[in-house]
Amino acid sequence: MSDNAIVGRVLRASTRGFDCGTHSRNIGEQHDFGAFVKAPIANSTHIYAIGLIYKIEIKDDQLISELVLGEAMPDSVLRDQRENRMIPVEIKVINVGYMSGTQMIHSMPPRPPMSLSDVYLCTAEEIFYFTQTHDYFRLVMGAAEVPSDDLLAAAIRYSAQVYPGDQDRYGYMVRCGRRIAHDLAHDLNRVTHVLGLLQN
Amino acid sequence: MTTPNDPNNLDEWFPADRQAPVYSANGVAAQRLGVVVGGSLSRGLAVKLEAGVNVEEMAVGRYVVIHGLHQRYFCMINDIALESTNASVQSDPPNIDVPFIRDVFTGNVAYGVITVTPMLVIDDSGPKPVKTIPGHFMRVFTATESDVNDVFGEENKTNFNVGSPLELEETKINLNLKRLVERSVGVFGKSGTGKSFLTRVLLAGVIAKQQGVSLIFDMHNDYGWQITSENGHHVKGLGQLFQQRVSILTLDAQSSDRRNAKYDFEIKLGYDEIEPEDIAMLKSTMSLSDTMIDAAYSLRKMWGKGWIKRLIDGSAEDLDHITQNTNIGGGTLAALQRRIERFERWHFLVEENEGDSVQKIIELLVNQQKSVVLEFGRYGNQLEAYMLVANYLTRRIHHRYVEMMEKSLGDASLEPPQLLITIEEAHKFLEPQVARQTTFGIIAREMRKYKVTLLVIDQRPSAIDEEVMSQIGTRVTALLDNERDINAVLNGISGAAGLREVLARLETKQQAIIMGHAVPMPVVIKPRTYDTTFYEAVTAQPVNVQTSRKSLGSGGKRRI
Repeated sequence: MSDNAIVGRVLRASTRGFDCGTHSRNIGEQHDFGAFVKAPIANSTHIYAIGLIYKIEIKDDQLISELVLGEAMPDSVLRDQRENRMIPVEIKVINVGYMSGTQMIHSMPPRPPMSLSDVYLCTAEEIFYFTQTHDYFRLVMGAAEVPSDDLLAAAIRYSAQVYPGDQDRYGYMVRCGRRIAHDLAHDLNRVTHVLGLLQN
Repeated sequence: MTTPNDPNNLDEWFPADRQAPVYSANGVAAQRLGVVVGGSLSRGLAVKLEAGVNVEEMAVGRYVVIHGLHQRYFCMINDIALESTNASVQSDPPNIDVPFIRDVFTGNVAYGVITVTPMLVIDDSGPKPVKTIPGHFMRVFTATESDVNDVFGEENKTNFNVGSPLELEETKINLNLKRLVERSVGVFGKSGTGKSFLTRVLLAGVIAKQQGVSLIFDMHNDYGWQITSENGHHVKGLGQLFQQRVSILTLDAQSSDRRNAKYDFEIKLGYDEIEPEDIAMLKSTMSLSDTMIDAAYSLRKMWGKGWIKRLIDGSAEDLDHITQNTNIGGGTLAALQRRIERFERWHFLVEENEGDSVQKIIELLVNQQKSVVLEFGRYGNQLEAYMLVANYLTRRIHHRYVEMMEKSLGDASLEPPQLLITIEEAHKFLEPQVARQTTFGIIAREMRKYKVTLLVIDQRPSAIDEEVMSQIGTRVTALLDNERDINAVLNGISGAAGLREVLARLETKQQAIIMGHAVPMPVVIKPRTYDTTFYEAVTAQPVNVQTSRKSLGSGGKRRI
């Protein structure tokens, strides 16, 4: 994860999450499912909503539909449609906390980000600080609109990369696993499923 | 937000690392075990173990300390259980062959719970009886040496180190010997669990710390001179350790000579000194009926002091004369005669005794303040002989002690030293049928105020009279596995329910639980090793100002 990589700009937002868009040619590893991103909230210079990417949508239009059906389509046309089409790729983010100065809070931000605000990838240091506690797991596990089990597993695997050394990384994964097992104690099958995803 | 400086130093980031000791007393780290999650004062407190604590490292009898808001609670583990947050773990257990799964589930979804019984509260003024419990989620730590010392005190002129608690082998458990000897003591345990060894340690402490004198009826020659332990090593007897403070008497000089065991003199008892009361004590061991005992009283009345010898030597005419002139039946008399004839096989019984054995023993105990070991030699295997001699001597010493104590009421300087009478196979002396009449029963119940107490050694405490058991102040118990024996030992002990598990799970050797008057709380110990280190420790002379002055030539007087 590169520091301060721009993910896109906010298309629409609420305190629960936000969607951001970017040009299809910019899609890269900063848009990975489960990545930690941040965006400044409305009318604030120091509070950033922190969220997880849970969906990347590439939408179609009439021309794309026709091109899909076309035969013997020249490569230049296909490439032009991929790289120059004016429909943004939509990246959906669920808020899991916010950062106020150096304070990390695992709760929904007080206000949503404004439209067209820049959305950045969180830095390794920010992820490290943010993941010292695991209270944000509940926000993910309780969100009906996201594939919560897969998202949680992806977020943990993603954040584990900031822990130096195999032993520390393993320790972090175990702590996360324990928290999941604790929070989902009533549903052992789901615990087993998420832990299985973590091991992959 | 205060954040650690070094992102690579995870210890900084995770100060509550489960494995890390987080409490330290006098530089000794205590491991955090868990938190209190429930329970009561009577049933014990439930403690959920931390994820990093291995449940296999827990052991009943081990000490833990709960840090309450204002005081520490010194507790003993008395049960260990496995619990889970979801019952379906039992029907569909996770695959713990995968390390990640094992590490996630163990101590979390599936966790250990220990039940601990609060024994004492420790605050700034020292240990006190526990009357309340700590609140929810108070932290539980292993007990440190400092915690144990706060409870059992430092070794001093009355406190004697008898061993170390489980898992804290560098820590000393100190027994208050003054309290030990002022009430009767019981040493219990199955055969082969080290009762004699424990008793030797206790007696060595009493003698070394000069907290009283002891009269030891040494059935198997375990206490006087050199003893061969079960592993074949020779260990020193009390007579060897304390040559100036212990006198060894024997009933069987031949046996002592054969064993090369030194003794001070041989004890003989005269037939004429034996009273019907002495015979009555042998009722069950010699299968004497009530009518035989009544006959003994009648014969004593008719024939006077020499009644035993006369009965043994009695001719048919003598016996006919008795049956014709008294209401004693011929069969009863013949049966009594046959039983009394066994006395002839005991060579310590003589027709006329030249010295007064009781007076000799009293002289040693009271005037010379020496403990006395009476070795039985080959007669130790004959329970009747052991009981006869023990009863005979104890009854008379008891009378003398009562007299001396009554005299001392007017003159405190005449007060005799505290006497601890040690008997083995104690249930034979203290079984319910005879305990109310025997001298030993009387001593156990009443003689504390006359400065005579018992040290009873037995493997069947359930056979001892309940009232006598209730009067035993300190109980030192090695492994017992009979339910009735365990009940008997725990009867009257506070928190007995918790101790039951501990008692039934002691090691077969070198573990004992001490409870009662001499310890602030029940304690499981690994007794001190009875070896040269022990010899040196108990025979080391404390520096005494008076003797030091004398040895320097001032005659005990201050030089000006």
